[in-house]
Amino acid sequence: MLRYILKRLVFAIPTLFAVSIIAFIIIQLPPGDYLTTLMADWASQGGAVEAGTVAAMRERYGLDQPIYYQYYKWIWGILTAGDFGISFELGKPVTELIWNRLGFSLLLSLLTLCFVWAIAIPIGILSAVRQYSISDYTATFLAFFFLAVPDFLMALSAMYVMSAWFGQSVGGLFSPDYVDAGWSFGKLVDFARHVWLPVVVIGLGSLAALVRIMRANLLDELSKPYVTTARAKGMSELELLIRYPVRLALNPLISTLGWILPAVISGEIIVSVVMSLPTTGPLLLRALLAQDMYLAGSLILLISVLTIIGTLISDILLALTDPRIRFQ
Amino acid sequence: MGYQQKLRGLVVSTGLLTTVLWGATLPAWATDYKQAPMLDEQVKAGKLPAVAERLPEHPYVETMIDGVGKYGGTLRTTILANGDQYNLTRTIANELLVRWDPKWQKVMPSLAEEFKASDDATTYTFKLRKGLKWSDGQPFNADDIMFWYEDVFMNSALSPAKNPTFTVAGKPVKVTKIDDLTVEFKFESPYGLFIQQLAYGQGHLPVIYPKHYLKQFHDKYNKDGIPALLKANPAAGDWVALFNSKVSLTFQPPFWQNLALPTLNPWVLTVPYADSERVVATRNPYYWKVDTAGNQLPYIDGITWAKLDDPQLMALKMTSGEFDFAFRHINNSTFKSVLFDGQQTGNYKFVDVKDLPANDAVILLNLNSTDPVKRKIFQNKDFRIALSQSINRQEIIDLVYVGQGAPAQVAVQPEHELFNEREAKQYTAFDPKASAAILDKIMPKKDAEGYRLDESGKRFTINFMVADVFGLSYPDVMQMVQKYAKEVGIDIQLRTTDRARLNTMWAANEQDAYIWNCVGGLSEVYTDPRCYMPFQKADIFFAMKWSEWYSNHATGEEPPENIKALMAAYDKVNAAVTDDDRRQKMKDFLNQSADNFLNIGISRPMPKYMMTSKNLKNVVNGIPITGNLWHPAPTLTQWYFDKPTK
Repeated sequence: MLRYILKRLVFAIPTLFAVSIIAFIIIQLPPGDYLTTLMADWASQGGAVEAGTVAAMRERYGLDQPIYYQYYKWIWGILTAGDFGISFELGKPVTELIWNRLGFSLLLSLLTLCFVWAIAIPIGILSAVRQYSISDYTATFLAFFFLAVPDFLMALSAMYVMSAWFGQSVGGLFSPDYVDAGWSFGKLVDFARHVWLPVVVIGLGSLAALVRIMRANLLDELSKPYVTTARAKGMSELELLIRYPVRLALNPLISTLGWILPAVISGEIIVSVVMSLPTTGPLLLRALLAQDMYLAGSLILLISVLTIIGTLISDILLALTDPRIRFQ
Repeated sequence: MGYQQKLRGLVVSTGLLTTVLWGATLPAWATDYKQAPMLDEQVKAGKLPAVAERLPEHPYVETMIDGVGKYGGTLRTTILANGDQYNLTRTIANELLVRWDPKWQKVMPSLAEEFKASDDATTYTFKLRKGLKWSDGQPFNADDIMFWYEDVFMNSALSPAKNPTFTVAGKPVKVTKIDDLTVEFKFESPYGLFIQQLAYGQGHLPVIYPKHYLKQFHDKYNKDGIPALLKANPAAGDWVALFNSKVSLTFQPPFWQNLALPTLNPWVLTVPYADSERVVATRNPYYWKVDTAGNQLPYIDGITWAKLDDPQLMALKMTSGEFDFAFRHINNSTFKSVLFDGQQTGNYKFVDVKDLPANDAVILLNLNSTDPVKRKIFQNKDFRIALSQSINRQEIIDLVYVGQGAPAQVAVQPEHELFNEREAKQYTAFDPKASAAILDKIMPKKDAEGYRLDESGKRFTINFMVADVFGLSYPDVMQMVQKYAKEVGIDIQLRTTDRARLNTMWAANEQDAYIWNCVGGLSEVYTDPRCYMPFQKADIFFAMKWSEWYSNHATGEEPPENIKALMAAYDKVNAAVTDDDRRQKMKDFLNQSADNFLNIGISRPMPKYMMTSKNLKNVVNGIPITGNLWHPAPTLTQWYFDKPTK
């Protein structure tokens, strides 16, 4: 087991290295750099763009250096000092900006995960066990429906309904009274009143997918001989179901658990933008649009690292829950 | 619009020859100034001096729009979560030495109590109000302006290039302190438009640098202390970066993140434009303006901006009554019907904003194209006329702009005194026959598909760059133009692109042609004729080699005689000293520009709108603004709620 983990860890290092290079190149691919964005901004404000100022800023930011040197400087800072560089646009260290938003991202992802699993697994089991019943058809219909609706549309409609019909203040995670206040019981209640909407909107899409996966896996298992054997031996139906086929059917869910980690940062960018959530998604989008390259690069690197760690975790979890994988 | 011209004596025309004599027109300053109730407590507790001590000796007396208002309330508005710092600038940071009146016709004294221009339009003297204070209570005087001039503007590390507002013919201004309250700006050659330039947003530079606060970050004043400050500030590598992180000449985010920076603005930030979910500002107790009854402005206690990532959410929150005011991002045709329907639930009304450029959609052919064949054809005025006449403008306006517009060339708006019918209307009539007849003379040969051939025998193709910007549906417009051009045998190939790509193409002079909008519809045309002549500025590049030559004869390419004459005509505008003379010279210039017919306009813009709460008063309906004439900052201090909103 330890060997297995070590082996995976060793493989992760070159992957990370390659990913960091690719991330950096991708950010540089579009024409122009952060200063082009800045110049466009100035122009639209009626400001004149002095070539001298721009050239001086380019030098100051090191944007006039060749790309491999910029990369070297950036990666060296990360490796030696944990310094991810600064955000040009916000004039702050990247780490400071990311940590501020990571908390809410993590919280939102976890809440969504709990919501999705708590709903999807029972529904999936129900519609597998009662295949081709009314409840199965209803669940299937709803699952396909929510799978098909784009999440930003869902976000917009949900907000419109909540705002126009129920008069609730939508968008963000707090109402104006609590935004700047410190944490208190009132703020927690306020948070709970706001957070359920994004959780439901973000969750519905993956919930639908999970219901389908759960149903298909379970159906595969239910027809296997060991189920019949257990039933023949007089095991109660519920105990049988939960103990054997469901456990096996959960495997694919566990293997996707690792994807939750990268989704913490990149996940649901569009929903976060539409609903103005204080998560890392909108930060990444803006960084890419403004070509704020150290911020964008660091976020992409972080996503890659989390993907690799996430995959590792699901491998380990799978090995723990399914002995067959361990011994391969 | 009933502007009360109670203080006619304050209103000074732009091309002033002599100083306004204050003694003669001195308004009766109230002796008992009043302040907002929210400050009473602090004054009583001794935390703040009394209102009369906080105000300058002669406060700026605001010209009221509806009348004297009442104190209180919070203005709730919105801002994009990232990259929207100009929203703050335009809303609360527009305090200048001189300012435009709300009608955008005259420049009036502001922080300067009076100003004087020399007869040769080279020297300008400003006398500051006595007793002006920064928002921390420290005095503002000539030393702060000298700090900007000597230690920021003339410091090559902080200002590697000199701001064009303060340069003429490549030479920067020379600023001298006459006494504690008087400074003199001297240029080497005539610069009659300086006062106008100074009254626009970018003219703020001399008055945003509080010396008493900023000198600790300056190498010259605090060489020994800076290493320690750098250590505490990991994002800054040297003193220049440190200084720029405390104040920003372009109002970049650092300006709005530094709560310690003293300002002269009516409101000061208490929650910065950073990580929080909103931005909050509260009144500056040292603000230096009063209403006609002696009440210290502003009336509104504070402002909150909800930070949102998406304009759709802005519109939704507007209709549900969560904002008292919104202007940017949702004032376009996409949201108009939704916002119109939401007036009842949102308790707001529409207010006209005359943000009127010279044209919404302009075809800019590259007269300096690097391809000699194309260059020759683009430079042919008859070709441009033919292309212009091939376009069915009304159809474009009806189909793409849902009727919002009028066929027109790049020209000043009809409501402005510089308007000229011919300049606006020439060659706008849809006449494909006349167009084809002209083209038959220039490029008579056609290929099998009916497209014209250039002199080398190849099909003449314009590679047209189209970016979908400003919400003006340029891709749709250009598809129609492409169709019209095909009718007369001109091949236009559309290349969809984005602004960043265009920027690099402009800089390298690579594009054949592109479509953009053109400023210069109202008074800004005096200082910003970028669409009327080759003029080095920002986003208009139809003859960049000539404009380079114009700004510095050692660079670019020498233009032909007619263009040189056009440039000379503009130089005369800049040398004019009186209003009348300047207006006349400007008319001559615009006339010549129309004769040259440099680019092809399609649609004249229509007024835009903003939304304000029904409870807000003293809001100008139909205020004229532009990119560098900010809004609503110049009139926001007099807005008030006539009943509480919440």
